[in-house]
Amino acid sequence: MDIIANLSIGFGVALTAQNVLYCFVGVLLGTVVGVLPGIGPVTTVAMLLPISFTLNPVSAMIMLAGIYYGAQYGGSTTAILVNIPGEASSVVTTIDGHQMARRGRAGPALGIAAIGSFIAGSVATLLICFAAPPLAAIALKFGPAEYFSLMVCGLIAAVVLARGSVIKAVGMVVLGLLLGLAGTDVNSGIRRFDFGVQGLADGIEFVALSMAIYGIAECAVNLERKTEEEAAVTSNIGRIWPSREDFRLSMPAILRGTVLGSLLGVLPGGGALLAAFGAYTLEKKVAKPPRSFGDGDIRGVAAPESANNAGAQTSFIPMLTLGIPANPTMAMMIGALMIHGISPGPRVMSERPELFWGLIASMWIGNLMLVVLNMPLVGVWVKLLRVPYRLLFPAIVGFCCIGAYTVNSNVTDLYVMAFFAVFGYVCLKLDCEPAPLILGFVLGPLMEENLRRALLISRGDLLVLVQEPISLAFLIGAALLLLVVAAPAVRKTREEALQES
Amino acid sequence: MRMQIRAPKDFWSGIMFLAFAATAIVTARGYSLGSAGKMGPGYFPIMLGCALALIGVILVARSVVAPGEPVGRLHPGPLLIIAAAVVVFGLTIQPLGLVISLMIVTVMACIAGRERRPLEIAALAVAMAAFSVGIFVFALRLPLPIWPSIGS
Repeated sequence: MDIIANLSIGFGVALTAQNVLYCFVGVLLGTVVGVLPGIGPVTTVAMLLPISFTLNPVSAMIMLAGIYYGAQYGGSTTAILVNIPGEASSVVTTIDGHQMARRGRAGPALGIAAIGSFIAGSVATLLICFAAPPLAAIALKFGPAEYFSLMVCGLIAAVVLARGSVIKAVGMVVLGLLLGLAGTDVNSGIRRFDFGVQGLADGIEFVALSMAIYGIAECAVNLERKTEEEAAVTSNIGRIWPSREDFRLSMPAILRGTVLGSLLGVLPGGGALLAAFGAYTLEKKVAKPPRSFGDGDIRGVAAPESANNAGAQTSFIPMLTLGIPANPTMAMMIGALMIHGISPGPRVMSERPELFWGLIASMWIGNLMLVVLNMPLVGVWVKLLRVPYRLLFPAIVGFCCIGAYTVNSNVTDLYVMAFFAVFGYVCLKLDCEPAPLILGFVLGPLMEENLRRALLISRGDLLVLVQEPISLAFLIGAALLLLVVAAPAVRKTREEALQES
Repeated sequence: MRMQIRAPKDFWSGIMFLAFAATAIVTARGYSLGSAGKMGPGYFPIMLGCALALIGVILVARSVVAPGEPVGRLHPGPLLIIAAAVVVFGLTIQPLGLVISLMIVTVMACIAGRERRPLEIAALAVAMAAFSVGIFVFALRLPLPIWPSIGS
């Protein structure tokens, strides 16, 4: 069996002492930073990116992936214990999770979240093993026209599935694409949009841009909240291991959450967020008996937590096989790969099998570590939750400065970061979601290159994009998505679905 | 009868997109356009610039027709101090080194916050500097100067 051979390569790589260590460090750091109130997974990954620069690419990706799901899990802990979701995807967990905590059942809530995440993570990892090779094989056959249309479709899907105004999101995508073009053009050697600044010769640094938006601008917005909410941290955790009754209730919820989360995670723009919302809504509809959602029903924790972890894992599929990021975190993974000189896409699997399969195997190991780590360390997390924000945000600003500078030892990157911090703040104030901008930024140069090659082959005939059947299918898909979301009825349900709570 | 902006958030988003589009188009005019079959460095940027301008126009136009949300109150103070701190880090990191530079950033960031406790700020600045030198310079061996470079 191919799968077994592939997995054995993977575990061979992931189980070396060095990589187990980096996986552990990643999971631990991710959880520690993710638990801190007000810091979500995207910010965590952005802030910790520089730590991975000095490692080899395989260890770097393993560690970053660990940081990602560690932070995801840390966010859930915060959601359950303090009722402040560290990130959007744990918003639904706060509904029942915090109610459980207030009734002295914080322990089982945390326990089921960890167990559910582990089960979901294992299933999603297997799914990646099965789904990724055929997908990459198909993608290898894509020509430039197909690729261009695939990216259009992916970006549109990201926009449609995101929250807020669609037209603003499209605007942010286009702006992101434009920003991504800055720097030396590979074909002509001309420096574009450098405004005569030497430091911009290589374009806008991705790390500086993402830290500016997800680190610094977020800090400024958080600082505006009136009073620093003296969060009521639940300190009475109780027994962590859920009771038999809890298990009996939660198991179906975990499995449903896993399936839904795995599917939604693959979609661009979906990932963990949509998965968690979807799973909670589904659970409210199908769970029997439909007692007590909203008053601390354990299934209201089990389902979304399993779903968001499954979604977080499967969102690696489009990133690893197509080179297309499903969410900003995956965009950062792509950024990290490129810093290591690897261009993501279907070739990664055949050319760097140790990277591909090692990463996947490490995800399973990392999920196991999460369970082992979280059960005994809950007490430590509770203490971390009491760190006041006035001490946290200067640290975030400081680490972002160090991070942005160390990528290239280029001072201009810091001025770029300051500029985009102000820009990010304005965007957040105007309800322009930054996620589409980040996705566009990563895809900008790729889209241009593929369009250029497609048109070169067709001698300038734009119709080539609709003459190739696969390419046409992607474009029709994109158009349908836009039409569907413009329909008033759909728009209403979409808004409701994403505003639950 | 004068036109009224009924959706300020949309209006200002549109203006922002238009500003970026204008910058992009004006700058990209200097790059050769090429033709569709042989795209020059200006081709794709101009295309995107026009698309962005179109989106900006739609948003602005819509904002005078359809009602929408007002822009929330801006508190630019903390943001500007933090952005300034980032710039100061850029100006000082090479001549003064990580320790001094990071301490300045930490103190400036603290000033942006609401509560300012001098002792706590000092302690945080020292802790940040010590921690960062330990992790980034010694453990991760990132190329960062620690102390001011004298005379060089």
